[in-house]
Amino acid sequence: MTILASLAIPLVGALAILLAARISDNLRETMTLITSVALAWNVWSLLPSIMAGDRPEIILFEVIPGIEIGFAIEPLGMLFAALASALWIVNSVYSIGYMRGNNEKKQTRFYVFFAFSLAATIGIAFAANLFTLFLFYEALTLLTYPLVSHKGDEKTLRSARIYLGVLLTTSIGLLLPAIIWTYLVAGNGDFTPGGILAGHVEGPALGLLLGLFVFGIGKAAVMPVHRWLPAAMVAPTPVSALLHAVAVVKAGVFTVTKVIVYIFGIEHLFTTPSSGWLLYVAGFTIIAASLVALRQTNIKRLLAYSTVAQLSYVIMAAAILKPLAEIGASIHMVAHAFGKITLFFVAGAIYTASKKTEIGQLAGIGRRMPWTMTAFTIGALSMIGVPPTAGFVSKWFILAGAFQADNYFAIFTIITSTVLNAAYFLPIVFIVWFGRETEGAGPDHGEAPLPIIIALTTTAALTILFFLFNGPVIALEAQIFGGPSS
Amino acid sequence: MSQRPEDDAWLVRPTTIKLLWRILWAVLALTVAAHFVIPVKGYFSIESWYGFGAAFGFFCCLLMVLVAKILGFLLKRDENYYRGDQDDV
Amino acid sequence: MFDLLPPALILLVGALLVGPLRGHWRSAAVLITPLITLWAVWQVPDGVSLTLPFLGYQIEPLEGSALRRLFATIFSLMAFVGGLYAFRHAKWYELAAGYAYAAGAIGVCFAGDLITLFLFWELMALFSTVIVWCGGTPGARAAGIRYAIMHLLGGVILKVGIEGVYVHTGSLDIQPMLATSFDTWMILIGILINAAAPPLSAWLADAYPESSPTGSVFLSAFTTKTAVLALILLFPGEPVLIWVGIYMIMYGIIYALLENDARRILAYSIVNQVGFMVCAIGIGTELALNGAAAHAFAHIVYKALLFMSAGVVVYRTGKSKCTDLGGLFRTMPLTTVCGIIGALSISSFPLTSGFTTKTMISQAAADGGLVTVYFLLAAASAGVFLHAGIKFPWFVFFQKDSGLRPKDAPWNMGIAMVIFAAICLILGIFPELLYQYLPYPVDYIPYKAGKVIFYLQLLLFSGLAFFLLLPLMKRTITISLDVDWLWRVLAFRIGKALYTRLSAAGSKLEAVVQQNLVNLTTFTRRHLGVGIGEESRGLFARTWQIGTTTLWIAVLLTIYMLVYYL
Repeated sequence: MTILASLAIPLVGALAILLAARISDNLRETMTLITSVALAWNVWSLLPSIMAGDRPEIILFEVIPGIEIGFAIEPLGMLFAALASALWIVNSVYSIGYMRGNNEKKQTRFYVFFAFSLAATIGIAFAANLFTLFLFYEALTLLTYPLVSHKGDEKTLRSARIYLGVLLTTSIGLLLPAIIWTYLVAGNGDFTPGGILAGHVEGPALGLLLGLFVFGIGKAAVMPVHRWLPAAMVAPTPVSALLHAVAVVKAGVFTVTKVIVYIFGIEHLFTTPSSGWLLYVAGFTIIAASLVALRQTNIKRLLAYSTVAQLSYVIMAAAILKPLAEIGASIHMVAHAFGKITLFFVAGAIYTASKKTEIGQLAGIGRRMPWTMTAFTIGALSMIGVPPTAGFVSKWFILAGAFQADNYFAIFTIITSTVLNAAYFLPIVFIVWFGRETEGAGPDHGEAPLPIIIALTTTAALTILFFLFNGPVIALEAQIFGGPSS
Repeated sequence: MSQRPEDDAWLVRPTTIKLLWRILWAVLALTVAAHFVIPVKGYFSIESWYGFGAAFGFFCCLLMVLVAKILGFLLKRDENYYRGDQDDV
Repeated sequence: MFDLLPPALILLVGALLVGPLRGHWRSAAVLITPLITLWAVWQVPDGVSLTLPFLGYQIEPLEGSALRRLFATIFSLMAFVGGLYAFRHAKWYELAAGYAYAAGAIGVCFAGDLITLFLFWELMALFSTVIVWCGGTPGARAAGIRYAIMHLLGGVILKVGIEGVYVHTGSLDIQPMLATSFDTWMILIGILINAAAPPLSAWLADAYPESSPTGSVFLSAFTTKTAVLALILLFPGEPVLIWVGIYMIMYGIIYALLENDARRILAYSIVNQVGFMVCAIGIGTELALNGAAAHAFAHIVYKALLFMSAGVVVYRTGKSKCTDLGGLFRTMPLTTVCGIIGALSISSFPLTSGFTTKTMISQAAADGGLVTVYFLLAAASAGVFLHAGIKFPWFVFFQKDSGLRPKDAPWNMGIAMVIFAAICLILGIFPELLYQYLPYPVDYIPYKAGKVIFYLQLLLFSGLAFFLLLPLMKRTITISLDVDWLWRVLAFRIGKALYTRLSAAGSKLEAVVQQNLVNLTTFTRRHLGVGIGEESRGLFARTWQIGTTTLWIAVLLTIYMLVYYL
């Protein structure tokens, strides 16, 4: 029942937010916070039993014989749900500071659809089969549209159109056929350890099916279906932060990983050469996106391309098809989430405090906003993968997995991309701390509003804490390949 | 601003410089001469030649300076060479 | 309790305190912390004294031995003298970064396993970058970024090697190995990048001169010497190191001879001296390793001394180029004398620490029958005198009258220099003081009359050569190109060309896709027009309301049901 509660809480909460808004803004924000805490509480309460090896599931109803809507929890989904629900709390605190600090309009619509989106995210995380996952996946796209197009002006609507266009086209044009194909050959779409396609789909057909899935899951932003990500940067930063650094994009890579592990099965893929292309496409995305990021002058666009590259780390890790790499892929979801959400929070903080959006304007801003920029430095170091940040931990496992498979392409891609990440983040770190402010460059300002500072300090701290305390997460993800480990 | 040689520091006066050169030649001669008194065994036979260290040192330096000079033609650039097309890197 | 505490932590705490404390409290922290660290170093017993779980492994952050304590000693001492030199003039964050950097080096000294080594390695890279950036000029910014990228590259290569070794051998222990597999080569390359081995040595001469006068003193000591320690621990006797070392030695001499900037001359000199150590490690015998360790110890002292004297000059005059300097002995006698002592030490002049340490390496080469190596090392000693022993003090303090009359060093800088100058002389006259702490028993006697004569001849005649060849060595206002030209210029040009071509192709492709999408949209609009107003916009461009959204979800669901049913 707790599974359904996890779905119900954000839905009910959305309504509560809507109603509370009629009374007062503060009540509305309180409802958001209560809902997010309740959701996190509920989701995290599932954790101990999952760690012990339980795999609860519940089938809601059969739509047609063989096609059901059902939910089942396994380690990957548990991790995703726990991550999204926990970060929703932090993000809500941040949103309060941001929306008020910028005097945004239509705040109620914002909070309501945010809650709806979280419901869809939980649905994706806990989906027991492809059909259920697809439903919630599409719902997420549609429910985030009002958030992306929040500003409402012509330019925003155009970009939001790209967002919707790319995601819906790929999911209906590529993902849906892939799902139908799976159901036809395997008889069902249930996520099963070891996969369900072995014996049903072999050889080149497997590679093709994989392609339909990977490119159909547009939210994973594998090139060339990545264009929606930079376009979605027109959204207010809290949206960019949670949805595009945590929920939407994570839903994408989560789905890809889940499909690889539980539909295809890593053994089956490893022995079928036609699926090897995924590694190279992901590697190409990493390098290409990093190169494009080098040329960006707008903070959020740079972060968007950085996200595209980091997402493909997860895909590439999953494509290495060795246990340590799969663990690395799932941990990178967490590490990247912590780091990227911090970076987006910083971008929003800068905008709220000074209305600046370009990197060139940031000279010396570290002296005005020390907390914010310290968080930025930590986030940047995590992206590069330097200890003592979370990024180091995930890259360690991905590399270990690459060695298990003697996958030198992956190893060299990681080396190259580390250098590229440093190349575009370090100049910013320098300029914010050591740069000299030019006279009349902008308004005199200090730090961002307090809720924002609290939020970004929390996520920056999480980035470092994850470096020190990552045992439980690793133990949880190791269970993807079997029962609880000692 | 020119000073009369006698007003400058002792070390750089022409008279002192001549003196220093004389001392240097004397010391150099001594080190080679000492070779006759104290046996320099070294690790390899060639090192017991009189004045080997002196010759070796002198000619190695000559060689190094010449090699450096030649390589300099290839490698030297104006000190602002890199600053021209520099924005980030 | 202290013997269970990694000394590196003490120094890190000191680094953290520098910021919040003010005035005399800050000075006290700066001066006392390294001394406490030094004391803690000598409490660390042999063997592993601390294990911690991390990432599923058991790491050993504290393992002691004679060799490790030796290096940690000189690092702590260096931190103290560096702090003394800097505390009245450097910015607080440069001091803090300096101490954190030194803490990283000491952490590497006592690392019992490869992961601990790597973690402290990265710590050093981070904080040394900050020190370079503290130089404050646009040159410092750019050089710092290149420096950071190079060190992060070295770090990731090292990490790849370590993980490979772990996955293939199951062990993370620090133990001697040879470069025989991809994994071990990666570790070797990662370490050699920090040691500034060519072809990737340009970073040293690029970044060190851009730092502040106080920063360069810290930089000169730690990165390269921890790499030397890592090589002694991991690759003793690896043959390729002999030739890497010799190449480094010659590279340093040639480039230093061509160079105009005083601090860049010293930077190339670092590569040259580290080359001696790397070569010795390649030889690998007990005498050679003793020599490498002893030389590292002595080198930290006299190199810092040289950078300190150069630093005083830069601090007092604002100039660092040989073409701008000269005749400073008139008003800076203390700095001049200290500079000369440092210069004599680096040249292995008898009665200095250089003579009692570097000659061990030559002996090791001779004992091993490596004739070519032995004579190359001897030639190199002449070359060192040429480019550092005489060239540096001559052009900076004598040469000509530049008209500058700067004041001598401030009192703290003066004391710092005197301390290290004294050590240079003491270790030169009483070498047993150092020998007793070397890792292997020493039966080497530096002051054999024959050897002294040989070296005096070698060095003094090199000096003669210098003065006779002076007209050939006129200082020019130039820099010398290095391997980094490949990526600073060539790669940049190629990248730009590629990018313009690709963008053009990309835009064309996008235009084609765009056009097709527009056609599709027009088609859909015409045939699926669900009218909500705003007829002029395409289906996907209208601002959707909740009602429409739900309607569409329902429509989609119905379509699926129909398809599956069929």
